[in-house]
Amino acid sequence: MVTSYIPLNLDECLKILSDKQVRIVAGGTDMLIQNRSHTSMPIGFKSDVCYISNIEELKKIYEDETFVYIGSVCSLEAIMESELVPELLKNTILEMASPAIRHTATLAGNIGNASPAGDSLVPLYLLDALVEKRSIKGVSKVALSDFITGVRKIDLEKDELITKVIIPKISFTKSYFKKVGPRLSDAISKLSFAGAYKLENDLVKDIRIAFGSVNVTVVRRRDLEERLIGKTKDEVKKMVSEIVDWYEEFIKPIDDQRSNKEYRKSISLKLLRSFIENIE
Amino acid sequence: MAKIKFKLNGEIKELDTDPSRRLLDVLRDDFNLTGPKEGCGEGECGACAVLMNKEIVNSCSVPLANVLNKEIITIEGFSKTKRYQVIKDSFAKAGGVQCGFCTPGMIIATESLLNKNPHPNEFEIKIGLSGNLCRCTGYNLIIEAVKLAAEAGEGLW
Amino acid sequence: MKDISISINKVDNEDKCSGKAKYVADYKLEGMLYAFTVRSQIAKGEILKIEYPELPNGYYVVDYKDVPGKNIVKVIYEDMPVFTTGKITYLYEPISLIIGPEKQVLNDLLKQVKITYKEEEPVFEWTDSVVHYHFDKGLGEKAFQGLEKVEYDYKTSYQEQAYIETQGFIGYPEKDKVTLLGSIQCPYYVKNAVVQALGEKEDNVRVIQATVGGAFGGKEEYPSLIGCQLAVAVKKIKKPIQLIFEREEDMLVTTKRHPSRVHFEGYVLDNKIHGLKAVVGIDGGANIGLSGVVLSRALIACTGAYKIDNLDISGDVFRTNTVPNGAFRGFGAPQMFFAVEMFFEHVAKKLGIDPLEFKLNHLAKQNDFTSTMGIFRDPVLMPEMITKVIETSDYLNKRKEYEKSEFKGVGMSLFFHGCGFTGSGEQNHIKAKVKLKKDKDKVYILIAAVDMGQGVKTSFRKLVSHILEIDIERVIFDNPDTDFVPDSGPTVASRTMMIVGGIVARAAKEMKDRFDEESFVVEKQYVQPEYIKYDEATFKGDAYPAYSWGVNVVEVEVDKDTYQVSIKKTWSVYDIGKAIDERIVMGQADGGLAQGLAYGYLEVMEHKQGKIMQKNMTDYIIPTAMDMCPMETYLFDNPYAFGPYGAKGVGELSLIGGAPAVAMAIEQAIKRRVFKIPVTPEYIMELINNGEN
Repeated sequence: MVTSYIPLNLDECLKILSDKQVRIVAGGTDMLIQNRSHTSMPIGFKSDVCYISNIEELKKIYEDETFVYIGSVCSLEAIMESELVPELLKNTILEMASPAIRHTATLAGNIGNASPAGDSLVPLYLLDALVEKRSIKGVSKVALSDFITGVRKIDLEKDELITKVIIPKISFTKSYFKKVGPRLSDAISKLSFAGAYKLENDLVKDIRIAFGSVNVTVVRRRDLEERLIGKTKDEVKKMVSEIVDWYEEFIKPIDDQRSNKEYRKSISLKLLRSFIENIE
Repeated sequence: MAKIKFKLNGEIKELDTDPSRRLLDVLRDDFNLTGPKEGCGEGECGACAVLMNKEIVNSCSVPLANVLNKEIITIEGFSKTKRYQVIKDSFAKAGGVQCGFCTPGMIIATESLLNKNPHPNEFEIKIGLSGNLCRCTGYNLIIEAVKLAAEAGEGLW
Repeated sequence: MKDISISINKVDNEDKCSGKAKYVADYKLEGMLYAFTVRSQIAKGEILKIEYPELPNGYYVVDYKDVPGKNIVKVIYEDMPVFTTGKITYLYEPISLIIGPEKQVLNDLLKQVKITYKEEEPVFEWTDSVVHYHFDKGLGEKAFQGLEKVEYDYKTSYQEQAYIETQGFIGYPEKDKVTLLGSIQCPYYVKNAVVQALGEKEDNVRVIQATVGGAFGGKEEYPSLIGCQLAVAVKKIKKPIQLIFEREEDMLVTTKRHPSRVHFEGYVLDNKIHGLKAVVGIDGGANIGLSGVVLSRALIACTGAYKIDNLDISGDVFRTNTVPNGAFRGFGAPQMFFAVEMFFEHVAKKLGIDPLEFKLNHLAKQNDFTSTMGIFRDPVLMPEMITKVIETSDYLNKRKEYEKSEFKGVGMSLFFHGCGFTGSGEQNHIKAKVKLKKDKDKVYILIAAVDMGQGVKTSFRKLVSHILEIDIERVIFDNPDTDFVPDSGPTVASRTMMIVGGIVARAAKEMKDRFDEESFVVEKQYVQPEYIKYDEATFKGDAYPAYSWGVNVVEVEVDKDTYQVSIKKTWSVYDIGKAIDERIVMGQADGGLAQGLAYGYLEVMEHKQGKIMQKNMTDYIIPTAMDMCPMETYLFDNPYAFGPYGAKGVGELSLIGGAPAVAMAIEQAIKRRVFKIPVTPEYIMELINNGEN
């Protein structure tokens, strides 16, 4: 039988991570399914486990002048209900999970999982979210886009724990998230899209575009976004076909039991087109 | 093995067991609370729903470790309340019960919703029930039941 | 007397709401063992060698060598072994059970089973026809000569029953008996199958129904297979054993709705179809089982709700190396009604006529001949029903308006369902018996009908109490137990209220005449209406004693960016004879339509090399509350003489019109012709890019 650790505070947890080789489980909504064994049998973890959901220090949401800090075991529900959290992220949570999942699943769990179909990653990439990691040796911050290194691969040492998700405070003229699932709720995405922009006197000051479920991880191209900054909104709108062409090569979806690559690619680009055309 | 203490249907329980067991199995196997059902085993259908600190969770995807110091109410516990009576009567009146396998979960979902939002509109009801699959009714009769419960239970939530 | 249709509280509401109702997985027997199934890992071939790990004390393997009777599951077409003797015909075919007290140990043992196969090339093409039917009406193809031919092809996919409670049994020994408690629709199907597999006397097999968490046909014949396996194990080991599928196993190995292909040729003169040729294929999977009956129901429905004088109809059940397909609410009719409704729509468009007008011109009337030269004996209320649905849905205006707009559509389906078994099934095969027992102040309904959510326990108690004019509390109806109830037949084919209820009503009337007596039993048997004469070989005669009819209107919107379909609202009118309880019927109406709609646009299931790709509730998408829409439903009374209070079949009817109506609505919304279901966003994209209007 594997050993389970249930630390009640952060120091205790970091000590365990430093001393032992463990899998970290937060809400468990995904880890339990991935490692499911049989009815009436414990979850079939292959290594020892550290359950972190009882660590009160990691359940806070607060802000300073530049960032919103979300403790890593805050439930999605708590995040959705917080006044500090950007609307884009709240809308995503509402679309991505049923109430029962929202009450237990966490944002850090989504990040730690690094699934290509992780819906919450799309707005987090768009918002330039950072991940705070901690070990007994200290604390560090890393951009989410650097933290996720591939399909279910993350930049986390065995003694480290994700302690916070940090979201820069940015104001947009408009932000938009679209999940395209096989039904209207409670399902894994076929694809998802997020877009946001900021206009000042019709000039594009900021524009961000992110795609989910169409590559090994979220697709966001700052280099392409930068080409649009400083242009007027009408100039950008006129460029719509060109912009769609730019992104075309980065949308590389797969066929699976939920959809096919033609649909995923075509609809991703349609959503991009529609987003650009509707800049107001 | 670890000692896990939690409140179950109003009583403090302490188990010395594997914290990697699913809450659903602990409820059904250790406490013979068979109201929560296993429909899919992966958090998709909601038949295993219980209240954890008054909010709906899928007990098939909650490890016992995460129940430490929490309050769990199953349909068996909830069925002793006035709110349950109102919801049950509404389900009966609307015709929201067919095979019954999803029903305890649906009632838990209704309680969790009304507890947070005593006057939900139709869209909010649909969201509130969106994690509970029913194959028999097509949902309208259940949505109707939630509406009736919200009306009949005025002041209870 | 109060109108029987006025709704009462369902008798099982209290137990089901409070969690007290006991489903099979909720029973724990002293010393109960668990059974895991060893399954083939190839789709076709021969087992050369099986090596089981050394079994700890108290663990057992049970396979074909332990089957004391006939190693064949008793279904209509007997080709499914209880356990394979070595020949593998589909992926995950059951080979043996490993049984013991600890699931952890069983799980480890299962992983250590080593099987060596001689693999063969599996067949997935529809080439191996096992059942072939053909029939003509009128002049058959001779009538087609010289007429304009219009032809189209239609396709339907798998549909999974997706009952929320998976399949399962607990079996235990009782003296000389093997007793099975399970989630089943047909206690006597299981009993008869087990009697054959064990080679036992009838008295030594007992089958009891636990509360059933949804079935929809999925628990019609499949439970006979696992019931036999478990009975063999109980007979050998002589201990209580639980065999309950978890979701993934259930979805990978249990029967599903048959995928179908329908080729139609309509022969047209003066804007009327005078002749119809249909070539139909359904995929039976690895075992034929009851697929032949599914095919015949589909073929008989080939003209839809219409009258066509000359028919040349043929169909095949093909055997493939895939999971066996079987019963699912509608039983062949949903496939055919999708095809025929679309065909009428498409022919009308081709001829440049309004489809509704075209359909109305062909609508069957009372005393018209059916496709099999039977007669629609009862009044056909379809014209009035269509008027009602048009009024309530504003169909005509919407239809006109959406012709001009984009991504909005409305569709109307017209359909019927033949109530009860096809042909002389009742008379020749089932021979239903019922008993009513009066014991002092209580009356006991003794029938084998199963309440799987459709409300049989309530409606039957209501029926009997109504006839006897006594309080419903005095009428008792427990879950069937074959030791106590006679074989009133399976709970299938929308026959329960019309057929079994009809017999029970006769028994109740006799009981009423003798109600002064303190304790007695009334026994009654099915009597076929004299006019029913049907020849199964030639498809000639009255295939059904009565027909239920329906009209659905469905309004949709298609997202212009993502092609996701949202259903805005539905309007339905049904003629089910007479509702025994209106609220129960409304529940069947909504629930059936939800399944029919989802079959039409949402539920995707496919196999790849014989492996079902959507193997859990995450990947197999059934609707949530968010996906369904308001449904407006009206019932027209049209009593059938032999049904209790005039009741006809209800359960399956409401599923049948959903898929064609939603497909037609989508067709209008995207201005492209739809030829297959489900109409997924992926298919819509394909049509928008390459389809034609």
